[in-house]
Amino acid sequence: LHFALTAAGLIATIYMIFLYAPEEMTMGEVQRIFYVHVPAAWVSLMGFLIIFIGSIVYLWKRTQFSDELAQATAEVGFIFCTCVLVTGPLWAKPAWGIWWTWDARLTLTFLLWLLYVAYLMLRNYLVNPGRAANLCAVVGIIGFVDVLIDYMAIRWWRTQHPQPVVLGGPESGLDPRMLATLLVSWGVFTLLFFLLLRMRLRLAGMRRELSEIRHVLAFKVSED
Amino acid sequence: VVNKYLFVAYSFVWLIFMLYAWNLSRRQDSLKRELDKVKSRIAETAPAAASGKSGS
Repeated sequence: LHFALTAAGLIATIYMIFLYAPEEMTMGEVQRIFYVHVPAAWVSLMGFLIIFIGSIVYLWKRTQFSDELAQATAEVGFIFCTCVLVTGPLWAKPAWGIWWTWDARLTLTFLLWLLYVAYLMLRNYLVNPGRAANLCAVVGIIGFVDVLIDYMAIRWWRTQHPQPVVLGGPESGLDPRMLATLLVSWGVFTLLFFLLLRMRLRLAGMRRELSEIRHVLAFKVSED
Repeated sequence: VVNKYLFVAYSFVWLIFMLYAWNLSRRQDSLKRELDKVKSRIAETAPAAASGKSGS
């Protein structure tokens, strides 16, 4: 059902982006990048929120699932954050005339991507799994500060990056068809995120089962 | 004519998601094969071990 919903949603989103949403007056067709750039950014921020919660629960309760959840989310979130960093410059070049600028929002999003990379590198390069889980949990908690500042950056400071068009105050707003397309795209990106997360968690479960069986076998061999 | 930036952006997004989903299913298949192999080896050795213990 989850897969069917996501697939149907993706088809509906493509229809809405290219046929339903009107063309923006100043930027023209290239503005349609907005409908993947913004939902991918939302999902990357939400991903780090899940890592933050998983990390706190892991350090507090020491449950293996919370660590697996944080690890799986880091991998999926990294994919979405990469989409943000690729689609952003592809939109910036025709809209601003430059690929990149070190303004607060862009820099903090790049830092978020680096945090995802750091999390995954720590996980893969530390030999001791317990130590890796502890260190990654610390990165997951401290790194969440970047998410909060990144979210507020375009509200606190006037940046090259546009001000928020949704939940951004009285001067913000979108054409109703653009807003509907954005919301549908956001919902479908969220569904896609959780679909990939479920697949990644299943992988973690299988890996755990295999290591438990191996552990029992090794114990039996040493007993014999 | 489709805007080239728009085309590259959407192509990249679809490509990265398809590649990641393919990579996940490939890793799942490989782990499943390994799990099945270990389980079948246990199933093979368990009756032999049990009969060995009951014999002694």
